[in-house]
Amino acid sequence: MKQYELVETEGPVLLEDVFPHDNVPLILFNSNFTDTINGEDVTFDLAHLTERDLHITDTTFRDGQQARPPFTVKQTVDLYKFLVRLSGPNGVVRNTEFFVYSKKDRDALEACLEVGAEYPRVTGWIRADVADLRFVEKVGLKETGILTSCSDYHIFMKSKMDRRKAFEKYSAAVGAALEAGIQPRCHLEDVTRADLDGFVIPFVQNIMRMSESVADELKPKVRLCDTMGFGISYPGAALPRSVPKLCWRMVHDAGVPPERLEWHGHNDFHKVLINGMTAWLCGCNALNATLLGIGERTGNPPLEGALFEYIGLTGGTNGADTLVLTEIAEYFEKEIGYTIPNHQPFVGRDFNKTRAGIHAGGLYQDHRIYNIFDTEAILGVPPLVAITDKSGSDGVAYWVNSFLGLKGKDRLRKSKLVKIMRWVTDEYDVHGRTTAVSDVEMGNLVEEHLPETYFEKVKQDNPS
Amino acid sequence: MDDIAARVKAVVGRVLKIDPKTLKDGDHFVQDLGAESIQSIELVAEFEDEFDIEMDEDDALGVQRVGEAVEFIRKILED
Repeated sequence: MKQYELVETEGPVLLEDVFPHDNVPLILFNSNFTDTINGEDVTFDLAHLTERDLHITDTTFRDGQQARPPFTVKQTVDLYKFLVRLSGPNGVVRNTEFFVYSKKDRDALEACLEVGAEYPRVTGWIRADVADLRFVEKVGLKETGILTSCSDYHIFMKSKMDRRKAFEKYSAAVGAALEAGIQPRCHLEDVTRADLDGFVIPFVQNIMRMSESVADELKPKVRLCDTMGFGISYPGAALPRSVPKLCWRMVHDAGVPPERLEWHGHNDFHKVLINGMTAWLCGCNALNATLLGIGERTGNPPLEGALFEYIGLTGGTNGADTLVLTEIAEYFEKEIGYTIPNHQPFVGRDFNKTRAGIHAGGLYQDHRIYNIFDTEAILGVPPLVAITDKSGSDGVAYWVNSFLGLKGKDRLRKSKLVKIMRWVTDEYDVHGRTTAVSDVEMGNLVEEHLPETYFEKVKQDNPS
Repeated sequence: MDDIAARVKAVVGRVLKIDPKTLKDGDHFVQDLGAESIQSIELVAEFEDEFDIEMDEDDALGVQRVGEAVEFIRKILED
């Protein structure tokens, strides 16, 4: 075994090429990986990953809305406008999709089209029924998802068909879309428990053949739908659950180029984002997601998580406005009445709030110790401390100085805050409190014990 | 016992609720006198009030024994 010697340094080595703090931590690869497919070793090329047009697609209004009471038309348009700002001019969030069946669906869709934004593009979603295409034509969409469920659970048990009937029905719907000048996007529902060689690949090969002579903008897209969250990202896992192998076979055996291949997952086994990310790495250019990860049962990949993976992978936002995420979270809570779990990454009330005194101590010294990145610059949310019995003097000092907006040498020393610290300590030790001290209570304590500093802050916050 | 030592022990007695007469220079604030984290900060605050001084907080919190506190404050007063 090689012996490693201690390397002493003049100061801390912060690995800022990976953890720049003013940006999202970067996801760097220094090797490709291989897997064995049909007895052959295949290599997944990660070195050229960022040369592909990786992007996010949105299904907040389709799969997301399926899992909750419906949005009003106004809420849909407001959220769409947030998505426009989030996406930015380069289409990081490239598409979004809508139901087209009810008048309310179409009203919402048309109101979003009226926004006139380039991204995210408005697309539809229909069953594999030729007649349903008229709804898409009526609203003038250029692309629609088509439900092409591909496991025998769906073909036989749900749709009461056999494979031949499904094959013909789906192919007919795709053919009709092409004829109507609408780009079909085949949603291979339940693909992670489907017969790849016996149904999925023959069907996809067929639609690829059908579209050989059509214009590029009409060629079918294929969405791999991990409907029940069965997908597995681990190298070596077997089909049909293996995400890498599914992606590889779609590209190499079914002939779908990465630019027309998309992943859609569910979180039933807590794997939703990592599976989506794996699909990005292994051949899908598009990752389908929803705001806050809402979606059928356990949800879809959270779009905000996908965006931070995108930034980590590519090294930049490509014009996406990450600050909008905090506005979206506030909108969901205040206008829609949706409760975001406090601990949800990036958008939950407590995502960067520490309750541990020892962590607050670290934050007090330097944000970089306990903040994932500069959350104030990237999300508009500075790192926070919740005051409990575990906060300690560092927690109280951090809270008060943050509240008063005092930094560096202007920060109040702990000895000046000792009465507030004593009050907090006694709440738990003497009065047996079991809840966190609220921000209002803390503000009142500052007003009581540091009146001059408090009113100086009030004056600064309200200059008029 | 000089005046500074007496005043330091009076503060320690008041904050930690101990009879100042029982305090010895070698008493360790935490191990012998049972000072809790917040009481260490209360001691710093009370010393600053008593002697009308401002102490470097990290250095002050690093002082472990009563006699060390006396010398720490004496030095600040002399400077």
